Amino acid sequence: MSTAPRWDADTAVDELYAAHYRQLVRLSVLLVHDVETAEEVVQDSFVAMHDRWRKLRDPDKGLAYLRQTVVNRSRSVLRHRGVQARHTPPVLPDVRGADEEVLVAERRKVVLDALRELPGRQREVLALRYYLDLSEADIAEVLGISRGAVKSHASRGVAALRHLLEDAS
Amino acid sequence: MNEFPDTPGRRGDDERMRRLLDAAVSDVEPSEALGSIHARTKVSSMQRKRSWVLGAGAAVVATAATVAAVTVLSDSTTPGGGGDAGPAASAGTSQSPHESKQPTEKPSPTQKPSGKESAAPAVQTVPVYYVGDTSRGPRLYREFHRVDLVDGDPVTTALAEAVSTDPTDPDYRTDWPEGVSAAVVDAPPSDVITIDVQTSGSPLRERPGGMSQEEAEIAVEQLIYTAQAAKQSRDPVQFFLNGGRTDTLLGVPVSEPLAQGDATDVLAQVWIIEPSEGAEVTAPFEVSGLAAAFEANVQWELMQGDRVVKRGFTTAEECCTMAPYSFKIKDVPAGDYTLVVHDSDPSGGEGFAPWQDTKRVTVLP
Repeated sequence: MSTAPRWDADTAVDELYAAHYRQLVRLSVLLVHDVETAEEVVQDSFVAMHDRWRKLRDPDKGLAYLRQTVVNRSRSVLRHRGVQARHTPPVLPDVRGADEEVLVAERRKVVLDALRELPGRQREVLALRYYLDLSEADIAEVLGISRGAVKSHASRGVAALRHLLEDAS
Repeated sequence: MNEFPDTPGRRGDDERMRRLLDAAVSDVEPSEALGSIHARTKVSSMQRKRSWVLGAGAAVVATAATVAAVTVLSDSTTPGGGGDAGPAASAGTSQSPHESKQPTEKPSPTQKPSGKESAAPAVQTVPVYYVGDTSRGPRLYREFHRVDLVDGDPVTTALAEAVSTDPTDPDYRTDWPEGVSAAVVDAPPSDVITIDVQTSGSPLRERPGGMSQEEAEIAVEQLIYTAQAAKQSRDPVQFFLNGGRTDTLLGVPVSEPLAQGDATDVLAQVWIIEPSEGAEVTAPFEVSGLAAAFEANVQWELMQGDRVVKRGFTTAEECCTMAPYSFKIKDVPAGDYTLVVHDSDPSGGEGFAPWQDTKRVTVLP
């Protein structure tokens, strides 16, 4: 994609938003579990990418940066939430929306719940591998870990997730 | 491109994982956000050095936009069941010409703003909180009621259920006296939910005889929690009594808009959400709910009379805050059962009795 037209930062935001915003939000939902937080994480990531565009300058790099930022920010939201949960009352009425279709939510919940029980790295590797279909090398780059580590997180994550889902069924 | 080892068995697993993760988020439809991203990038690139100050300013703008959007949402929401309005409908809602272009709708499939022109379904499922007795006094439980809409408004509908309709679960009740009605009224400011409690009988400014102070406080919380859940908003609640302001309601001070009380003081700490009371199920069936359990341990028994037919335990997602749990019950013969879900007693029997919820279920052959 080095032949791609030179975008300015605003164009980069527009184009990458159009092509990837929804997928990035969904990726973040797999990591942080709730949509509202995921939307915030991804919007923040687009703003951050815009700020950095002079260094990125290339659509592929922009997308890679977005993915990395979404994963990192999702992780720090979780960390922050772990602390916060003890101090703020739970957001109860929103746990299940008033008129949400219960069954759809249930099915989705089982998998999201199981993901939530995994260690963070395993969850991230599974989301990048199976939801985004990234290669081992790309995952290693996004997460800043070795390919060997990616491989072992992936296999442990799959085993753990399978175990959790079997327990649930 | 994928360099993971690719044996035949593994390929099936991969496929299954892909489908699982895909399905888990396939109904997530984020709301339009390009406008607000633009608003923020404009600020940050013009004033890079002061971006943290302006960042805070942008956050205020975003908050204001959210409040406005919630108002738009509640005004224009066609309450209702399952209709997937989709992005086309949200594009039709009125928009401010500035950066907060899109309503920040929740991606709940039924909570999309849609034009007034589409007919409002007459029936909707609303959340309703009821009082149940626990070892630590009256606390709130939640049910979902599928009912005809009152005044086309889900919040008023839910409030009407809460004060004057019997809960499905006979263990629950409402402590509001007979002849009371409650409805949302339009009153400024728009980010406060105003509930007018009307009474034909005894005045409700003071706590009626026979109602404990705890019951009175929980009765007020019942309406706050119900209204906020039905509106899907944490806007504070201002109470009116018979159309006007009042300093107290059931003896509880209500002159100011009230935030909901702390969940640990107000809610029963173990709820069964599915199956609902009296549900008919076939084995295996799934039980789900919310529990704020000690060490996140959730225990259950399936009883016939005093006999425990099956028992088990599971773990809620988080300890000590209301968090989802679920488990499956398999290999149960047909029959009538009482399902009991409770937390474990950290004191080993010396402290309070555990939190629990019970549902009667019929397992069909």
